[in-house]
Amino acid sequence: MRVIVLMGRVLDPRGIVVNRRRGRIFVNVEEYIIQPADRCALEVALRVKDATGAEVVALPRGPLPDDDVLRQALATGADRAIYLTADKPYDDGAWTKVLVAAVERLGGADLILTGATTLDTGQGQLGPRLAEALGWPQVVDAWSAEVADGKVRAVLHRGGEYVAVEANLPAVVTVQPGAVKPRYPDGVRLINVYRGVGEVAEALETWPVADLVEVESLKPLLERRGQDFPPERERSVRLTGTVEEMARAAADALRERL
Amino acid sequence: MDFTFSPEHQALRRMIREFAENEVAPLAAEIDREHRVPIETMRKLGEIGLLGVCFPQEYGGMGAGETGYCILMEELGRICTSTATNVGAHIGIGAMAIYLDGNEEQKRKYLTPLARGEKIAAFGLTEANAGSDAANIRTRAVREGDSWILDGGKVFITNGGYADIVTVLAVTDPALGPRGGITAFIVETQWEGFKVAREEDKMGIRGTSTAELVFEELRVPHENVLGKVGEGFVTFMKALDMGRLTLGAACLGGAQAALEWAIRWAKTRNQFGVALAHKQSVQWMIANMATEIEALRSLVYRVAWLVDTGRPFSQLAAMCKMYGSEVASRAIDMALQIHGGLGVTRDFPIERAFRDARIAEIFEGTNEIQRIVIAANIFRQHGVRIRP
Amino acid sequence: MDASFLDLLMAQQEEVAEAEGGGGGIWVVADVVDGQVAPVTLEAIGAARTLADALGAYVYGVLLGDGVTDLAQPLYQAGADGVRVADHPSLASFGVEPYLKVLADLFEAEKPEVVMFGATPQGEELAPRLAQRMGGGLIEHVTAVTLDEATRTVQASVPIYGGEFFEILACPEARPQFLTIEPGAFPEPFMDPHRKGEPKTLEVEPVEPAVRVVGPAEGFEPPVVPLSQAPVIVAAGRQAGDFELVKRLAEALGAQVAGDRGARDAGWIGPDRIVDVRGVTVAPKVYIAVGIRGDTFHNAAIEGAGFILAIHPDADAPIFQVADLCIEGDPKEVVPALLEVLS
Repeated sequence: MRVIVLMGRVLDPRGIVVNRRRGRIFVNVEEYIIQPADRCALEVALRVKDATGAEVVALPRGPLPDDDVLRQALATGADRAIYLTADKPYDDGAWTKVLVAAVERLGGADLILTGATTLDTGQGQLGPRLAEALGWPQVVDAWSAEVADGKVRAVLHRGGEYVAVEANLPAVVTVQPGAVKPRYPDGVRLINVYRGVGEVAEALETWPVADLVEVESLKPLLERRGQDFPPERERSVRLTGTVEEMARAAADALRERL
Repeated sequence: MDFTFSPEHQALRRMIREFAENEVAPLAAEIDREHRVPIETMRKLGEIGLLGVCFPQEYGGMGAGETGYCILMEELGRICTSTATNVGAHIGIGAMAIYLDGNEEQKRKYLTPLARGEKIAAFGLTEANAGSDAANIRTRAVREGDSWILDGGKVFITNGGYADIVTVLAVTDPALGPRGGITAFIVETQWEGFKVAREEDKMGIRGTSTAELVFEELRVPHENVLGKVGEGFVTFMKALDMGRLTLGAACLGGAQAALEWAIRWAKTRNQFGVALAHKQSVQWMIANMATEIEALRSLVYRVAWLVDTGRPFSQLAAMCKMYGSEVASRAIDMALQIHGGLGVTRDFPIERAFRDARIAEIFEGTNEIQRIVIAANIFRQHGVRIRP
Repeated sequence: MDASFLDLLMAQQEEVAEAEGGGGGIWVVADVVDGQVAPVTLEAIGAARTLADALGAYVYGVLLGDGVTDLAQPLYQAGADGVRVADHPSLASFGVEPYLKVLADLFEAEKPEVVMFGATPQGEELAPRLAQRMGGGLIEHVTAVTLDEATRTVQASVPIYGGEFFEILACPEARPQFLTIEPGAFPEPFMDPHRKGEPKTLEVEPVEPAVRVVGPAEGFEPPVVPLSQAPVIVAAGRQAGDFELVKRLAEALGAQVAGDRGARDAGWIGPDRIVDVRGVTVAPKVYIAVGIRGDTFHNAAIEGAGFILAIHPDADAPIFQVADLCIEGDPKEVVPALLEVLS
């Protein structure tokens, strides 16, 4: 059985300060972390591997400037990692084509896992897009996922309670950030994959995107048109009126933010 | 000259930092309060290979060298001095002695499980009459057929209360003294005749086991002689030499933590209408702390490089330990001052750091001994054999 | 002034001439929750209305479910020019494949310019698959829109890092443009009671959903989020008076419960729930301080909070200097009123 995990990186927001008044973003500490939801997806994949002996292959969830995320995946226990190299910032719509071709070149898969949402942009469309392109069922926002008897069983939060769902494999499952505690990498694998020695280093391959698809056919669907900043924080705003009026105003403010 | 860490060391640091913040930090206050060793942390460290960080992969280690070991000690030292001490005693002196002078058989039998964290090591040198005067040990080892019978004891042994393996130094020929009369042994603590007599109740590093060991007709097989009979003193001094560097790294971490706390408090605390950060006296304390930390950092990782590239390192390793322990004490002291009255309350980690730091100037060779080592090295280079 | 004559005037208004469709338009796929149209759907229709007026296009609503035909009327009242309803037992509960079939067939025929979903579990699952199937671009969690009239392109604001700042994205060429609308980001539209319509029924071919609900998740323990990472916190201080009210407020908001040192002394919370630089530093999106006076050590521990609502009887309480929104009042009166409004 083969399990594919799509992983990406994000700038650690703890190193960023936003000045609303001047409309500027200051990056004080430029450090990248793996998308937290993708780490949970990898952990789910590794648990499936622990239970069934499946092969776990890590792929990028979008263009990456280097293969660090994939090395981390190998160090943590993935059997293979493929660094798909691209020279353009393809978005989810375009990257889905690349992933479909990569899955085919790998010889297919039984389960594809990825994070349900990205920490920075809050987008969760990659998993469902890929599911549609492959014609597979999708299980979205899973809190847990297991494989047995050719099916995936997952826990979702629906209608205020946790429900168990199942779908036939092959399927795409997206995993909630914080769903599971990701394991630490194995020290020996970590040292070896970063040194480029041993079996674990050989498990890292590089496939240029141009080898997989016609690059001319890949076009980012979305465009960045600019940035906007929330209004400056106004502190100490005192509500007035009756208790009911104040409660209503407060509830409105809360609803906007929750 | 490239001052950046290699990719594997950068990746290692990230992994250890995350582990330290998630697994070690939550226990730091509790183990100090309850005076208990976090054995579960040692097990978790072992599971991901960190208890063998500097040992070769063929012996179950990680192969990250002294640089990797310094990174481990720095990151642990930043979070919990007790945990760093437990790890340091296990890797840096306990297992290290076997790595330095063990034969192939001993390395396979003992070093591998220690590197994998399946067993814990301690270093049995110090006795009631032999602290700085290490050669003055009295524990006696007498040959009897294919074994040696050990009688005596050790004090202040870190990890002594729960270790599986202790490397023990004993006198095999009283007439010869440290040159030819002292031998190192690998002792398994479950053997008959090995006893843990008591645990010290300490001011600081209360998450460590500082035990008194007693040996009563402890039978040790001859194949457990570490190195050559009569050359044990040299083995132990070599191990201590290596240990000095990594203790300096742990002190670097502790000093760094103090600086981070001080900066955070200076930003947060307002007096006289402004944050403390705007007060010159505080700025100077922060600047002094930061400068000493950078100097220590450069020294520690330069010495790690010396070790990893097979160059002589003794003199500079002694400087690491001496300077590191004093930098840490000064930094923690200044951080405590910046925190004012809150610095001595149990609500903040500073008072624990203050209590934990003091021992660093004393154990693993007092700073006085370190200064003698440094001076002896310097004068020898100039043709003078000093007699301290 | 007696404005009842206005009602009479508006009652003369004709029924909305059902927009025929046949190309273009802004389509809003409705979320139905507990038998009602979800607020986000109405908000999306309001946003669609503004865009449609500038584009010279129609706004359509789409309803899917079982017994939902009557829900078309709120969609008209919010501003839809036309509504399509797929009312069938096989759509009683949400399933990707059945809903997708209806929408894919509809949109293949209608060729919308823009399709909006709520950024809800349903929208999250349908929008990307539909976008992928139709070759459209999708922008998720949209909080504001403007129009690039020259290219008839929607420019959508997306919150980054939970709203630290916003990126403005657009899908300049691919059509349809898909958006998922963040609940609460757009204003509730004016519901015009005189706007009525006759929705068109869609043919529904039952399709089996690929994901089957097996039952409640037996023995599943949801992961515990540490207080320092909780996104919403309701914290109590001595002046809260009744700790039960605080707990109920937290439950209503899906928030974690915490307190200051006073709450600990009162025995309401354990020592690991004290919000204080000497205890736990928190950084939630929303922090509600109920009856907390707010000394420097507490206030410093909530510096990272996105929005602070404080309720306290004393006008001079230091908490009011750091809170965004301040209610001077007795928490025992204010919290029940708040609970009432929120339900």
